[in-house]
Amino acid sequence: MTDSAIAVKRSSKWGDMWASIYANKAALCSLIFILLLVATAIVLALTQAMGLQILPYDPNTGSMDEAFIAPCAEHWFGTDQLGRDIFSRVIDGTKISLSVGVAAVSIALITGTLLGAIGGFFGGKLDNLIMRAMDVILSVPSILLAITFMAAMGRGLDKAVLAIGLVSIPEYARIARSCVMAVKANDYIQAARVTGDSNLRIILKHIVPNITSPIVVRATLGISAAVLDTAALGFLGLGVQPPFAEWGDMLARSRSFIFSAPYTLIFPGLAITVTVLAFNLFGDGLRDALDPRSRRR
Amino acid sequence: MNLRKTKLFAALCAAVFAVAAVTDASAALSRKPQDNLIFASTNDPLGLDPALVDDNDSGKINCNIYESLLRFEDDNTNVKPGLAESYTVSEDGLTYTFKLRQGIRFHDGTPFNAEAVKFNIDRQMPENAIPKMSYAGLVYGDVAKSEVIDEYTIAITLKKKSTPFLHNIAMTYAAPIVSPTALKEHGNNVMEHPCGTGPYKFVAWDKGQQVILTRNEDYWGEPGKVQNLIFRTMPETSARVVALNNGEVDIINGIDANVIPEIQQAGNQLFSAPGMSTQYMFFNVNAAHNSITKNKAVRVAIAKAINVPEMVQSLYKGYDTPATTLLPSFVPGYSKNIKPVSYDPEAAKKELADLGVKKLTIITYSGARLYNTVGGQVLAEAIQAYLKAAGVESDVLVYDWATYKNKLLTEEFDLGFMGWNGDNGDPDNFMNLFASDDPINNQGVWVNQEYRDLVAQGVNVPDGAERNAIYEKAEQIIAEEVPFLPLSHPQILGAMRPNIQNFSIHPTGMTYLDKVQKQ
Repeated sequence: MTDSAIAVKRSSKWGDMWASIYANKAALCSLIFILLLVATAIVLALTQAMGLQILPYDPNTGSMDEAFIAPCAEHWFGTDQLGRDIFSRVIDGTKISLSVGVAAVSIALITGTLLGAIGGFFGGKLDNLIMRAMDVILSVPSILLAITFMAAMGRGLDKAVLAIGLVSIPEYARIARSCVMAVKANDYIQAARVTGDSNLRIILKHIVPNITSPIVVRATLGISAAVLDTAALGFLGLGVQPPFAEWGDMLARSRSFIFSAPYTLIFPGLAITVTVLAFNLFGDGLRDALDPRSRRR
Repeated sequence: MNLRKTKLFAALCAAVFAVAAVTDASAALSRKPQDNLIFASTNDPLGLDPALVDDNDSGKINCNIYESLLRFEDDNTNVKPGLAESYTVSEDGLTYTFKLRQGIRFHDGTPFNAEAVKFNIDRQMPENAIPKMSYAGLVYGDVAKSEVIDEYTIAITLKKKSTPFLHNIAMTYAAPIVSPTALKEHGNNVMEHPCGTGPYKFVAWDKGQQVILTRNEDYWGEPGKVQNLIFRTMPETSARVVALNNGEVDIINGIDANVIPEIQQAGNQLFSAPGMSTQYMFFNVNAAHNSITKNKAVRVAIAKAINVPEMVQSLYKGYDTPATTLLPSFVPGYSKNIKPVSYDPEAAKKELADLGVKKLTIITYSGARLYNTVGGQVLAEAIQAYLKAAGVESDVLVYDWATYKNKLLTEEFDLGFMGWNGDNGDPDNFMNLFASDDPINNQGVWVNQEYRDLVAQGVNVPDGAERNAIYEKAEQIIAEEVPFLPLSHPQILGAMRPNIQNFSIHPTGMTYLDKVQKQ
C-alpha cells in the first residue's frame, strides 16, 4: 500500500499533467497546432538558410502583372497588391511571429524572473528598489512604451523584440517575487538553511523548482501577447523591414482593400487569431494541469 | 448650504454652455442638408494664409476664400481676369499695369484697391519674405518694384523678362490678395484668421476636424450656389469611402483606383481628369555623398531594370499614365520625341553585375500622396522587386512624410521617390526644380550647367516654338543623364454623391466650389 502510493506519486508529476492536458481537447488541439507552427518555422528557417524554396512561391517577390488575384488553385489565398502569393507570405510570417514571440518572452522571462527572485529572496531595500522600477514600467501602457522605444531606436525586428520583451519584464518579476516569498516561508527552506546550505544552493535546489509552473504558464500566455504586440507594431508600420512578410504589417497594408479584395486581409488576420487562440487555450490547459487544486475540481 | 451648491452648479452649467455656444460659431449656420456641402479630404490644412502655405490641403480651401489678380480658366491653366479686369504690358516686357475691379470689399469690410495689392506684394518681396513663404521667391522673386498709379491701377516692374509671371500671379499660393487690415491686426499671419475677397468667408476651424466657410453675400461676382462649405479631415481612405457611401459626406478626394468599383456600386459619381503632375524616382548624385548612383552608367542600368509601363498599369489600374518626361503631355514644351531609357532586364542584369552593384538603399515615405495614391512604400517595394530580378538587393527605409523630407537632407541613400503637382501650367514651374541647388526641390542634388542654362533661357523667351525647343533640349539632357526616372502622370480622382452637380477638380489640384450645386 505504501509502496504503491509512492510509486504513483513518483510517476505523477509529468503523467498527471499529460493526462490533464490529454483530457482537455481544446488544449490538446492547441498543442498540436503550436507544434506544427514551430516545425514550420524551423523547417522554413533551415531551408531558407540553405537557399532552398519549399513554399509554392517566393514570399518576398511577386510579379506586377499578377496583382490582386482572388484565391484560386494556383494561389490558394490569392495575391496582394504587388502580385505576391499570400499563402506563401502567411506561412513565411509564422517564422517572424514565432521567433519574435519566443525571443521577446525569453528576454522578459529571464530578466524578470531573476529580478523578481532576487527581490523576493533578499527583501529589504533591494526588493523595494527593483519592484518600484517595475512599477514605473507597468505604469506606462505597454504598446505606448514599445512605440516610444522604437521611435528612439529605429524600426526593425531586433528592436521590436527588445521593445516587446522590455515591456513585459514586470509581469514575470511580480510572479517570481510572490512565488519566492511564498516558498521562502516554508519549513524546508529553514531546514536547508540550518543544514548549512548557501543562498545559491537554496535558490537553485529548493526555490527554482517550486516556482517554475506559474512562470511556465505565464510564458505560454506571454507568447500569445507577444505575437499580438508584434502584429500591433507591424500594423503601426514599426515592425519588419519591407519586403519581409509579417502578419500585422500585411493586415495594415491591405486594410484599404477590405471591400475590393477582402482575401488580402482575411488570411493574415486569421493567422494572428488562430495562433493567439492556440497559445491562450494551451496556456489555460497547462495552468489547469500544473495547479493541483484546479485539476481536481 | 445645499441650495447654495445647487445655485453654484446651475451657474457653472450656464457658463459652460455659454462658452460652448461662443466657440461653436458654426451653431448659427443652417442645418438643412442642402445648405451644407461636405468635402472630405486626407489632411488638415497647414493654414489659411496663402503666403505661408505650400500644401494642396490648404490651397483647395484658400481658393474659395481668396482671389488673385488673374485666375485660371475652369478646366485649364490659361489665365483670365480676376481681381484685375485688364492688364497691359510695356514694350520692353518688364512693366505690367493692372486695372483693378472697383467697389470690391474684403470680408472684413476693408475696400480692395491698389494699396491693398501693393501691401500683399511688399509683404513677400525678397527683403521682407520670411522662410515660411515658400512660394514668395517663385512669384515675386523677379519683381523689382510695385507702384500705385491711382486707386485702382497698379504697375509691377520686373528685373528681367519672365514668361511665367502672368501664370504665377494666378496661383493659389503667394499670389492671392489678403485684407491688409487683417494682416496688420494679426501680426502679418492670417493662418487662422483668413480674410479675402472670394465667394466664401471663414467661419471656424476645428483643428484636425473641419474648416467651415459660409457664403459671402456681398460677393462682387456670381455668388456661391451652396450656403456653407465644410472641409472635413479624414486621413483613412477606407473611412472616406464609407462616409461617402453612407451619405455622411458629399465629396471625397484622395481615392485610389482600387476603391473605385466600390464607390460606383454604391451609386456615386466619379470625377476623373488628367492631373498636371509627375511622379519620379530620383538618384542620389550629390557630389558630397558616396552613393554609387553618382555613376551615370549605374543609373542607366537601374533604369533598364524597371518596367515603368507595367508597374504603373498594375499599381494604378490604368488611371495614371506612364511618364517619359518631366512635363505632362498637355503642358507647353512637352515633346513626344523624348525617349527615356527603356526596359531591358537582360542588359540591366549584366551591366549591374559588371559595375559591381550588389546592394542599394531606397528611401521612401509611408502614406499616399496626390501623385501617388498607393503610397510610397508600395512603390518602393515594386522597385525593390524589379531590382531583385536584376540581381540587386535593396534596403527600403520608410518614414512618415515630414520625417522623410528631413531625412532627404541628412541621410545617405541611393534612390528615393518624389512628385510634383504643377501650380500654374507653365513648363518653368516643372523644369526649374532641377535647376535649383535646394535639395527640397532637386532631391538628388543634380548639377548640370547646360540644363541650368537652358532653363534660365526658357524663362525669358515668350511662349511658342522657340521656347518649346528649349525645353525639349532640356528634357533630352534628363533622358540621357538620368538624374531621375519619370514614372507616372497621375489622374486626378474624386467622387461625389449622386445629388452633387458641377463639381470638378482643377488641373492644379484646386477645388473651386462656388458653382457646385447640391439637391
